[in-house]
Amino acid sequence: MSLLPQLQRIPPACWLGVALLLMLAFAVQVGAMPVHLNDWLDLPKMLDWFVQDKPTQTLSAGAHVLFNLRVPRLLLAVLVGASLGLSGALTQSLFRNPLAEPGLLGVSAGAACAAALTIVILSEMPLAVIAPVRAWLLPLAAFAGALAVCFALEQMARWMAPGSIAALLLTGIAVNALAGAVIGLCTYLADDEQLRSLSFWTLGSVAGAQWLWVWLFASLLGTAYYRLRHSMQTLNALALGEAAARQIGVDVPGLRKQIIVWVALLAGLAVAFCGMISFVGLIAPHLVRLWVGPDQRRVLPLAMLLGGLLLLVADTLARVVAVPAEIPVGIFTALIGGPFFFLLVRQARSQVR
Amino acid sequence: MHPKPSVALLQLNDIRLSLGSDCKESQAPKSFKLCISPGERLAILGPSGAGKTTLLRLMALDASPIKGVVLFKGRTQQSWATAELSRHRAVMPQSCQVAFGLEVKLVIALGRVARRSDPFVSDIVFEAARLARVDHLLSRRCDTLSGGEFARVHLARVFAQLWDTRDGLILVDEPLSALDLGLQEIILKALDRFATERQHAIIAVLHDVNHALRAFDRLLLVKEGQLYADIASKSQAVPLFESLYGLSLECLRTVDDALVVSPRSNRCGVA
Repeated sequence: MSLLPQLQRIPPACWLGVALLLMLAFAVQVGAMPVHLNDWLDLPKMLDWFVQDKPTQTLSAGAHVLFNLRVPRLLLAVLVGASLGLSGALTQSLFRNPLAEPGLLGVSAGAACAAALTIVILSEMPLAVIAPVRAWLLPLAAFAGALAVCFALEQMARWMAPGSIAALLLTGIAVNALAGAVIGLCTYLADDEQLRSLSFWTLGSVAGAQWLWVWLFASLLGTAYYRLRHSMQTLNALALGEAAARQIGVDVPGLRKQIIVWVALLAGLAVAFCGMISFVGLIAPHLVRLWVGPDQRRVLPLAMLLGGLLLLVADTLARVVAVPAEIPVGIFTALIGGPFFFLLVRQARSQVR
Repeated sequence: MHPKPSVALLQLNDIRLSLGSDCKESQAPKSFKLCISPGERLAILGPSGAGKTTLLRLMALDASPIKGVVLFKGRTQQSWATAELSRHRAVMPQSCQVAFGLEVKLVIALGRVARRSDPFVSDIVFEAARLARVDHLLSRRCDTLSGGEFARVHLARVFAQLWDTRDGLILVDEPLSALDLGLQEIILKALDRFATERQHAIIAVLHDVNHALRAFDRLLLVKEGQLYADIASKSQAVPLFESLYGLSLECLRTVDDALVVSPRSNRCGVA
């Protein structure tokens, strides 16, 4: 598209990229366990391990923390933040409103609810489910939960009052309350071990990062961006409203379905692996829109970058504020995001009627 | 490639309009048929709630009729792909809000969103904007525009959509109601010039009888969901206007012999 020359698009992305790299370099050094230069020298061993898929040489303790705990955690924070940023930007363009966000609308809660149900039901089942299946069942359930909430929301939004964000947010409140109740019930029924994993979902954390998750999110995000790169201008068309978008030749139902599936995948899997991390999907696209304007072709990629940066910063804070203990990052993003949401609502007063 | 001029651009066979759910089968409006040729200028007139916008939506293939068939270039709504249809017919809605405050040039470029590769889009956007007199607004955000400016942006979007096709169809719903007198002239002229150059037909829902008489060559009078009359845009139409709106009208001639209609001042309610 020659309207916005390629060149014009580089500076903000560059800024964010450099900031992200600097933040990564900083974040990898700080933490409960100091990282020494020597630990970096174990990198070849680590690469060996990747290639041959088994630990051939033993790593030093520092290197183990660095390569098996900290680096995957930082990368996961960036990737999950990017997923949340992208899903937030997509949700906002789907509902034509800057206040829409997977967390606020109950998509994340739906995913968490499905995940919690899975944890409790799985343990009640008489036959033992083998570990790998168990590991994949959870993300699958979370995705299904997110997808169900997304489709329900879309129907509701149409049925209640098309274009009214108040109706949408109210539906989100209802979904959040319902999901909260189900999670509460699961907590009541759960035993000690299940309780720990349940509280993990409601708080949100990237502490359990594994390399497998990093690869999973990297490929998910890559695929999402690749599949959506041609849809960005049609997403702009949605801003004209459904009828006008159809008149200029956009297959609106198809586009909506595509967006919903991606939102559910991105938000649902983020919940499945890292719990409920709220507000990143709201803040990142909004800041990007303030910065470069509302063109989705720029908002989507930049919201990904900024979402990654935001969650990385939040996670680093969560790690270092109370060393050696750490605070779940979901608490941090909610602490920052809540007031931000109030600011947004104040700005968009005219729309919240 | 293009259909021969003799082929109707738009055909409505045995159409019945649905006006809300309260009309019973026995009182349902009579069905009617219509045929519109390429390049025609057609105005739809009628009192509020008569079904003008419903008729326009049928003609735009936005909705399917409850009864009858609508054929655009000989094909039904189902056989047109959304993207393909958008290259042959454009709709300028009565009101259309743009979320997020997109830039004007982006909104105009959206008229061409259905084209896979579109190398000249920036030129077309600029030319379309110039024709609709919004070229000075290209970098403005849509939420900072006045009603009249916004209407012209949408007009430019319609121009961009049908810029490089011929024998298309432009449908406009009350395009002039939000505009001042000068802008009404500008828009009517721009629309006329654009359509003439490309042999596009124009179908417009109008409130002002005088606009219809001056710029359109065929009038569809709609009342209570029925096609009340389908006549040429001449002085013979004036008695029909009187019964359509329930008004007594006076015919005046301007110096250049154009017909102007005005309600009589002291006698009302003839119908």
